[in-house]
Amino acid sequence: MTAVILIDTFLLILVTITAVAIIEVRNLYASAMLTSVYSLLMALVWVNMHSMDVAFTEAAVGGGISTILLIGTLVHTAREEKPQKSRVHWKAAAVTALCGAALIYGTFDMPRFGDPKAPIHHYRVPEMMAQTVGFINGTPGKQKPPEGFDHTEYRSFNNTVADVPADPTDTAWRERSLMAQHGIILPKVNGHAPAHVEPGHTHPPDDFNGHVPNSVTSLLAAYRGYDTMFETTVIFTAGVSLIMLLRRPRREGYLQRSAPLVDQTILRVVGKMSIPFILLFGLYVITHGELGPGGGFQGGVAVACAFILFALIFGRPALYRVLPPPVSDLLTGLGVLVYSGTGAACLLLGGQFLDYSMLDLASPGDGEALGMTLVEYGVGITVSMVMLTIFNQLAEEQST
Amino acid sequence: MQWNHIVTTVFLALGCVVSLTGSYGLLRMPDFYTRLHTAGKTDSLGQVLIFLGLVFVTPDWLTQCKLIMVALILMIAAPTATHAITKAAHLHDLRPWTKGDPGGEP
Repeated sequence: MTAVILIDTFLLILVTITAVAIIEVRNLYASAMLTSVYSLLMALVWVNMHSMDVAFTEAAVGGGISTILLIGTLVHTAREEKPQKSRVHWKAAAVTALCGAALIYGTFDMPRFGDPKAPIHHYRVPEMMAQTVGFINGTPGKQKPPEGFDHTEYRSFNNTVADVPADPTDTAWRERSLMAQHGIILPKVNGHAPAHVEPGHTHPPDDFNGHVPNSVTSLLAAYRGYDTMFETTVIFTAGVSLIMLLRRPRREGYLQRSAPLVDQTILRVVGKMSIPFILLFGLYVITHGELGPGGGFQGGVAVACAFILFALIFGRPALYRVLPPPVSDLLTGLGVLVYSGTGAACLLLGGQFLDYSMLDLASPGDGEALGMTLVEYGVGITVSMVMLTIFNQLAEEQST
Repeated sequence: MQWNHIVTTVFLALGCVVSLTGSYGLLRMPDFYTRLHTAGKTDSLGQVLIFLGLVFVTPDWLTQCKLIMVALILMIAAPTATHAITKAAHLHDLRPWTKGDPGGEP
């Protein structure tokens, strides 16, 4: 039993306990806080699995903003859950048990943890790995395209896998076999040699040991570009529906009860100190999403948190002076427009929709980097503004 | 044994002791304010000591800077959060426990 499995077991036991506690606790505020704890624990589990992007999203969205929004909703509803007769609904219990059994049965067919033969490692992924943003010259870890580089061949990879090694810790095989075969060069990172692998350590060395450029973003923004675009659209739709459902003509005193904490000197000072840094961090996460963990969703949430903190400390009138609701509504749509507009630009330049390498034909890697950054900004703008709109609507609902 | 390992061990041990006393106090203390008083130390001093300890074994100066920054942010953010919680409890007229009140004795 390795340390990784020990930590995983410990964390998953805690997760289960938290999940049971969420159901059992009668106080809804406690339940909301436990949901946040659950998300943080899951984020730790993801970190243990070396999936930094997922962990980051879980911590930012699950542990951060959704707790704020849940508590904001609870202000309007009850504080305590109504006690119900604890009667077991046998039919529902049977259906749940059957579903659970089917899901567990389904996991038997899944590939082994970290299996190099798993479909995710050879179906289309090597091609996407070849398109990672660190393709181009300049800083260590990025390379110029080779002499006589043919970008038509670069994009026409026929998905064949040459050989799969038996050693699960060997992740370099993809680069060696396929990329060399097609004249595609992957980013080589100086300085960070892949970390040593302990014997019995079941995890493969992750991408952040060997590659600085983030393959997750290239998968999210290129391989699953449509998916991410429609995720953004779903968030946009949620924001629009919320506005349609909750926004009413402003009555007298709609800014009441958002009294700024005038007498709370410590909170005001610390808030004033930290809000610029939170904003900067959010923008960094969005911009740097193509190179490290992070991206539009996480960064957008961080930016929204900065605005929410501002509104909580200095009051919503101050927030509305900084960012009037019409502007935030406009920005909500602008994010989706930036995303789909990037796709359309690729279309107009002669490629396929969301084929970012079209943005810079001389060096497709630069095009990929540019396209992904633009797309991340689109996602970030929409996510932050929708979260802010939800918060504003909940707060306004309370004061009218 | 290298000097930095010794320093790290001392810092980590101190951090663990502070965190442990914080957790023990959370269980042992009689009311909300005193519980937060002990729990607040876990967040600020305990974590900061652990982060400072890790600085000495990190080879990369960029990561060292990041660790120090996280420690600094915690030093500012954690006491503020504790302050905000106690202030909210105080504004809701939660009375501190005094000797003789029921429920306080362990």
